Amino acid sequence: MTTTTTDRPAPSRTLWQRLARSLTQHDSFGAYFEPLIQLALPMWSTSGYRTKVLEVRTELPDVYSLVLKPGRGWGGFRAGQFVQIVAEQNGVLCSRHFSISSSPDHYARTGLIELTIRVQDKGRITPWLRQQFANGGWLRISAAQGDFVLPQGNGPVLLLAGGSGITPFRSMLNQLRAQNDNRDVQLLYFARDNQHFLFRDEFNRLQLDNPQLNITLLDNEQHGLISAELLQQYCPDFARRQILICGPAPMIALSRNILTDMQVPQQNIGFEYFGAAPIDQPRSSSDAALVAFRQSGINVDIAAGESARSLLEVAENAGLKPVSGCRVGVCHQCICQKQSGVVYNTRTGQYSDTGAGEIQLCISVAASDLVLDL
Amino acid sequence: MPSAHIPSAETLQSFEQDINRIRDNTLTNVGQADADYIRNMIRFQRLLDLSGRLCMVLGFLHPLWWVGGVFALGIAKILDNMEIGHNVLHGQYDWMNDPHINSRKFEWDNAGDSGSWKRYHNHEHHTYTNIIGKDRDYGYGLLRLSNDLPWRPKNVLQMVYYWLLSILFEWGVAYHEVAAERIFFGKKRKHSSLPISREQLKKDFFNKISYQMFKDYIFWPLLCFPVFFQVLLGNICANLIRNLWTSTIIFCGHFTEEAHTFSEEECKNETRGQWYYRQILGSSNLEGPRWFHILTGHLSCQVEHHLFPDVPARHYPAMAAEVAEVCKKHGIPYNTGPFFAQYFTVLQRVWKYSFPSSEGKQQAA
Repeated sequence: MTTTTTDRPAPSRTLWQRLARSLTQHDSFGAYFEPLIQLALPMWSTSGYRTKVLEVRTELPDVYSLVLKPGRGWGGFRAGQFVQIVAEQNGVLCSRHFSISSSPDHYARTGLIELTIRVQDKGRITPWLRQQFANGGWLRISAAQGDFVLPQGNGPVLLLAGGSGITPFRSMLNQLRAQNDNRDVQLLYFARDNQHFLFRDEFNRLQLDNPQLNITLLDNEQHGLISAELLQQYCPDFARRQILICGPAPMIALSRNILTDMQVPQQNIGFEYFGAAPIDQPRSSSDAALVAFRQSGINVDIAAGESARSLLEVAENAGLKPVSGCRVGVCHQCICQKQSGVVYNTRTGQYSDTGAGEIQLCISVAASDLVLDL
Repeated sequence: MPSAHIPSAETLQSFEQDINRIRDNTLTNVGQADADYIRNMIRFQRLLDLSGRLCMVLGFLHPLWWVGGVFALGIAKILDNMEIGHNVLHGQYDWMNDPHINSRKFEWDNAGDSGSWKRYHNHEHHTYTNIIGKDRDYGYGLLRLSNDLPWRPKNVLQMVYYWLLSILFEWGVAYHEVAAERIFFGKKRKHSSLPISREQLKKDFFNKISYQMFKDYIFWPLLCFPVFFQVLLGNICANLIRNLWTSTIIFCGHFTEEAHTFSEEECKNETRGQWYYRQILGSSNLEGPRWFHILTGHLSCQVEHHLFPDVPARHYPAMAAEVAEVCKKHGIPYNTGPFFAQYFTVLQRVWKYSFPSSEGKQQAA
């Protein structure tokens, strides 16, 4: 009700919230006291859970795991879910999503969770996190999110992992082991070469424990990308299984096409993109970009080679009416929440971060696929 | 006041590059230190706010507690409105991605709701600075501050209006946009650029006012019931301190003797360089120690604020030296002076234009 720059109706406030509004100009007393509380508790926040980084463990030269101890009140998770982490980099609160690679059972026993992260080439956050938290530190995590979990019951399952998309599956397999659940699980794990398989020893041990668990490592150098032939060869009964796919976007697209061609019903296929972090490279003008306006459900394709238009124009051409003002970047009325993707700021000549952040629509141009809160 | 002789296109182009360079150099240094600065400023403000309210209550021990409390609360409100609120609402800290320190969410301890303020201030005032007919902050539709407006008999009393506006400044600011939209009376604006409905505007106006009134004039006094009037009076005084200070600083920013005005015609299709030029001519700086800059929310560097409204304001004093240098190089006037000298010219200006133009000069002299 106070910030009126959005058309969305403000949610009605409880009496307590109104009191906080009146006394502190914030929606909660916690938000008002947040900067003071942070003096004693770094990274404390009204949104998210203050979390201690205990260790950064190297898994492969370009992959590491963050060992985290979530703060009080964090509600736990189901194997396969992900969290958003927020860390302060040079004054900027940066956020990224990562699947939890350890099991809920591990969390129950130790109070710890692990995020396994691949260092992104030219990435801004993934290389930095490893250095920044080498000696521990504090960050903030969200509640666990996502529906990418093992199907209910005892039915046979096929897991297809690509690269660091293995992380949610590691959580699931460890959880099955902890629950003595010996269901029939096939995992086909694709990586770019033989050196890039994660958790090899751990997977070997898990296989020994459960005769019904079958893990096949397929490196792209030797076997190529996922194909119908590979599926037939290593998991001939895939048609009767529930299938979960996690990996980079092209791998997911390819797998889904193959499965669809082989008449696997859509409801048997689940997939998750979060296994791989989003691409950090800005779009070159020869690439097309997709701008997704999340609230209105409108998607706009920006064709390759099309001259750069501000996102404000893109939104207006799509029939949306975002609040705007000066149209030259002065008044900050057209600020919009970006969920993900890179934008180019025509005024400062800088590229944005790939994660969530606020952008000025009138001076921003799409530099990759984008998801906007509009 | 007539506008100054406009420099050649080449001068303006080279001037534009120089100003851009200052901006770019500063932006490369914006980071952790700025985030720490604004967080620490907010912490200091919160502590001052809370301790001010507490000390005020202790006034029954000795009146000096009350005086100290009022003073602390007044300063807390000034910091909240100027160094924190005004700068955050300009988007100077949006890059931090902090859910509570950004221009979309921030709300200040002021009768005007921040959303409405942002709409007219960030847009109209900062885009159309000192353009008569476009910049509604120019004299707030109440004062005649240049010969661009015809003289009317009511202007004789404008020194009185000016004092009243200063005393009630937060209410004036709150009323500003609603008034311009002719929400309550008079004819409606034909071409409203308002991005929200008039009902919403009205609702925001009354909501914010009631939240503010409830807090300072009902809740806190009642909570400290035995000293009800002591707290009530203290809150009134603290708000008054803030009103007088903010009004004075803001008037010094644009209505000093040397500050120029512009016509809509002059500003059509202007280049970035011309825009910079207009911002410099329409603003004036105040000199003083660091604490003075902070208490003005760095509006003491009004010129730099208008050139770089979304650069974190703590960089303005350093940028000011560079901007003054660039202006000197290109022969562009740069208006700066000590606070009292500048303020004196503001009073002179309000007085001078109280009267029709020809006599005005004699009266002022």
